[in-house]
Amino acid sequence: MAALLASAPALPLDEAGKYVAGAYVVFLVLVVVYVAIMAAKLQRIERELRELAGFAETRAISDQAAPGREGEEPSIPDSLAPHGSGGGGI
Amino acid sequence: MYGKGLRNLSIATVAALAVSLSLVFFYAPLDADQGFVQKIFYLHVPLSIVALAGFVIGGVFAILHLRSGEARWDAHSYVSIHLSVIFGVAVLITGSIWAKASWGHWWVWDEPTLVSFLIVFLMYATYYPFRYAIEDRDRQARYASVFAIAAGAFVPLNFIAVRLAQSLVHPRVFATADGGLPGSMMLTFLASLLAIGLLWVTLVRFELTAKSASGQLKRLRRALDAPAPGDASRIAPEVG
Repeated sequence: MAALLASAPALPLDEAGKYVAGAYVVFLVLVVVYVAIMAAKLQRIERELRELAGFAETRAISDQAAPGREGEEPSIPDSLAPHGSGGGGI
Repeated sequence: MYGKGLRNLSIATVAALAVSLSLVFFYAPLDADQGFVQKIFYLHVPLSIVALAGFVIGGVFAILHLRSGEARWDAHSYVSIHLSVIFGVAVLITGSIWAKASWGHWWVWDEPTLVSFLIVFLMYATYYPFRYAIEDRDRQARYASVFAIAAGAFVPLNFIAVRLAQSLVHPRVFATADGGLPGSMMLTFLASLLAIGLLWVTLVRFELTAKSASGQLKRLRRALDAPAPGDASRIAPEVG
């Protein structure tokens, strides 16, 4: 790697260097921001999935404990209702 | 479903980007006319090609949606256009930086190439308010598909019109009578085009995967909210 860098031509980072660096940095920032937004979205999905799994387990346990009480089981919390989070976009 | 092979695709994209950046800065020779500023070419031009191709691909997916009525093609069309708009932002900013370095101005209004791309970008920027102004999901998808097809057909027509225009400012590198790029520059450009294209495909797959997971989650919520006993076993395959 050191030999490769040593044999590579020196970059002429004069007046033009800041423009080239600016263009590539803008591109990098856009990609990083997009990936960060996607990561936040996936984290939210994971959190909601964990909550739903907990809810399903609680309901299964309560169904086993009292088979005749299906009508009294708790509904999904408002924060998990299909219209609640507004995720998904389309 | 969409997440299959995404890890390998991501690794290939990172590798392709690393190789293309190495070629840009350590292999491709300096341009005799523009010097070091010309390195922006290897980012700006592939981004614009991929963005415009993405708009056309969004139109093709929209045709598939209208023909089949399947929501997944509408999602493909939406995500293709969405990523191409983001790439379009990068094209406009990198182009402005190159223009400032090369011509001394951030923007030149009488240059057909710049203005035509801005028109295409602004046209697709209206896709979002147009789409989300319609509440009914089926109508929203249908109208958005019609928009994507009409706008997608406009992109190549616009490109041809600009190529026919006699511009004295914006360089014409490909398919010109007085020669194109030398071999080393062409190789670097093709590597950059491949890397940017792979990045677009990877990000489209990422967003489709996230949307698919979000949709499955909504279905799970609805199914779990139903009081009928035995529903849990029925919905299990959909989650997996």
